[in-house]
Amino acid sequence: MRCVDTTQLLKGVLDLAVLAALRDEDGYGYDILRRLRAAGLQDVGDASVYGTLRRLFSGGLLNTYVVPSDEGPHRKYYALNAAGRAELERNGKTWREFATTMNDLLGDRGIV
Amino acid sequence: MNDIADDEITGYVAQVRAALGGVPESTREELLDDLPEHLAEVLAEGNGTLTGRLGAPSAYAAELLAAAGLAGGPPKRRDQLRDLRERGARWLRIADVRVGPVLGYARASEFLVLLRPAWWVLRGYLAAMVIAQLLDSGSAPIGLLPRIGGSDLVALVLLAAAVVGSIWLGRRGAPVRFWPRYAYWSATAVVVIFALAGFSWADSGARTAPYLDATYSGGSGYGSVEDVFVYDGQGRPVENAQLYDQNGAPLQMGGMYCTDPVTGESRATWQRGYPHCPERNPFQSPSASPSPADPGVAPPGPSPAGSAPGAPAPIGTAPSGTAPNGAGPSSSAGVRTSATPSASPSR
Repeated sequence: MRCVDTTQLLKGVLDLAVLAALRDEDGYGYDILRRLRAAGLQDVGDASVYGTLRRLFSGGLLNTYVVPSDEGPHRKYYALNAAGRAELERNGKTWREFATTMNDLLGDRGIV
Repeated sequence: MNDIADDEITGYVAQVRAALGGVPESTREELLDDLPEHLAEVLAEGNGTLTGRLGAPSAYAAELLAAAGLAGGPPKRRDQLRDLRERGARWLRIADVRVGPVLGYARASEFLVLLRPAWWVLRGYLAAMVIAQLLDSGSAPIGLLPRIGGSDLVALVLLAAAVVGSIWLGRRGAPVRFWPRYAYWSATAVVVIFALAGFSWADSGARTAPYLDATYSGGSGYGSVEDVFVYDGQGRPVENAQLYDQNGAPLQMGGMYCTDPVTGESRATWQRGYPHCPERNPFQSPSASPSPADPGVAPPGPSPAGSAPGAPAPIGTAPSGTAPNGAGPSSSAGVRTSATPSASPSR
């Protein structure tokens, strides 16, 4: 059997992870990346996070605003809007159910 | 932030932008919007170069596209063409089903498939015409047969060979491999374009021909009329008659010259009305003019409408026998032109 690659798993849940990273606080791209890494998603790629942000934004789940910076380039902040929060709630629930199912499955077989 | 870092960022951004070359500009700039800020943060961490930390710019661009849901590129020209083709095919399918019942088939294509051999024959003919057009160097038009050097025999042989070849090709079906297939459809396109051009050429030729005819023959049906002979109700010739059309315009027929039937000499006539040349009356030989003693009997020639040939005319209605004063046509006059001598007088 093929090894379960973390990056493969990440692909499926990166949207949800990014939405979750913005749940409590707005953030700019690198900010969000740091939050994800701090939460334990070490393998997440920089470009993947930025690309995901862009896709969620064009999907109407995020708002953006620009904060000028004295040093270096300006920072584009992302914020969850109502649609984003609804999506986070719905997908979060789906993920929990899925995770529970997987846990049960693995637990029943006594693998973990 | 120092200049070296700035240069590194600028260079990396430029390379990512280049790798996103296929993306429409607005989308590309949106994707790149965050990048300088991002790169500045990465460099600020101090963990080596941008390429060392993030990978090659092209790989970064690919990952960015994939994550942004634009993987495989945004709609490229090729995709738009495919889109257009699919939309066209959808319309064709709808038309296929709608038109079919009108033709008596479930689908119009079922009927068109039956016409395929006809297309093969036509294609053979067209191919022969293309070949003849290419090979024929003569200045004369080759006409509707594939003549080479004006030879009918060559034309028929070439036509037969091309038609047979086309039918053979048709039964074999379109080639499967790329280049033969490409050549097959290109040749078909050439033949179709040639056919359209040839058709419009033949069509314009057919449309202008009657115009040329009219120029030379007059086209009115009375071009051969040289003189007009008028007869009154009793069948007597009317001299110096005037003819008018429904608009009151005088009818001008024939010429103002008379040819003597015996000597063949031409002379100008002084008669202002019809006939210009009374001596050429087709129904009356100069020696057989009606006798003044028998004015009521019609001459042997023309028979005016309403009276039987040779029947005595009603005595009381005998007109003066002179022309109607040049003022207008006599309504009861029978008109015979010299160009219609075959018209039976007894009709």
